[in-house]
Amino acid sequence: MSSFAAIAAVLSVGMITYASRAGLIVFLADRPLPANITRALRYVGPAVLSALTVNLVAGGQGIDGVEFVEVAAIGVAVVITAVTRNLIAALAAGMTALWLLLWLF
Amino acid sequence: MSDHDHSSHDQTGRDITRAALRAAIPLFIPAIPFGLVLGVAITNSAMPTTVAWSTNIAVFAGAAQLATVSLAATATWLTLVATAAVINLRHVMYSAALSPRFNDQPRWFRWVGPFFLIDQLFALMSVRIDMPGPVWRRCYLSAGIFYFSSWTTVVTLGMLAGSSIPTEWRLDVAPAIMFAGLIVMGLANRPGIVAAIVGAAVCLLALDAPNNGGVLVGAISGVSAGYLADVAESRRAEQRAATARHR
Repeated sequence: MSSFAAIAAVLSVGMITYASRAGLIVFLADRPLPANITRALRYVGPAVLSALTVNLVAGGQGIDGVEFVEVAAIGVAVVITAVTRNLIAALAAGMTALWLLLWLF
Repeated sequence: MSDHDHSSHDQTGRDITRAALRAAIPLFIPAIPFGLVLGVAITNSAMPTTVAWSTNIAVFAGAAQLATVSLAATATWLTLVATAAVINLRHVMYSAALSPRFNDQPRWFRWVGPFFLIDQLFALMSVRIDMPGPVWRRCYLSAGIFYFSSWTTVVTLGMLAGSSIPTEWRLDVAPAIMFAGLIVMGLANRPGIVAAIVGAAVCLLALDAPNNGGVLVGAISGVSAGYLADVAESRRAEQRAATARHR
């Protein structure tokens, strides 16, 4: 990615982030969001993050980029997060599982 | 509850700041590994390192930053920006929830405050809405500036560590593990699980879409599925309540 494209991307993402945080506070102070919108917004987090995770695992190589060890490490992290509700423990367990599997196979 | 009752609270400014920081620090601890992972991702990014680092100041939102620097290798400007926009939609929710508290605040604060509105600050300030206006503002800014400076520090430390860590350690997998953990942490109900599963499945099916379009298609399908599941669930709850009444 060229410097120019990178700077343009960072500035645009920055402006969009600020707009999503400030829009309602600066411009729409009193008007509440419609109930349907707030209802849908609640599911943005899980939907986007899971799509992003799949995309990161594929690493831009389509389905061929999905490695078994990576999927297994993520599975371990998911279970550990569900049990402990602790992200640090999940990251540690996921990475340990990954290293173990890489060493075994 | 307004700017007029300065006399009604005897806390000094320094007391408020100290209390704000004491409450803010524990919430920051879980963000430390995320910041370190982001730092490593910045050093591996297809973007020039300084530009990728500048997301700390220009964006200041962990998930959007991680997506921006790690998708740079494969995505076009448009998909990158669209993906970040979708990730940031949750901030709309935060600002909707806090906007009544900003109504009686000075104009400068209404413009500056939102910049700091990360997940942790929302968690901290949304439960303190009953504070008097000036106290809430001081608390908000103290915690916000603390999060901003510590986040930038942790990410920079991650970059320094990242460049000396051998690639065999496979730290490139850490962002995906981090995201997966964040999903589980955020799952509050059944529709949320539906949203996550549909989002992942559709993205997997759409992986061959050009320019990482799979992320967007997956995200939109996931949100729709979560919304529909939510509607279906509340309808079922209503029916159950209705049959219970009839008995």
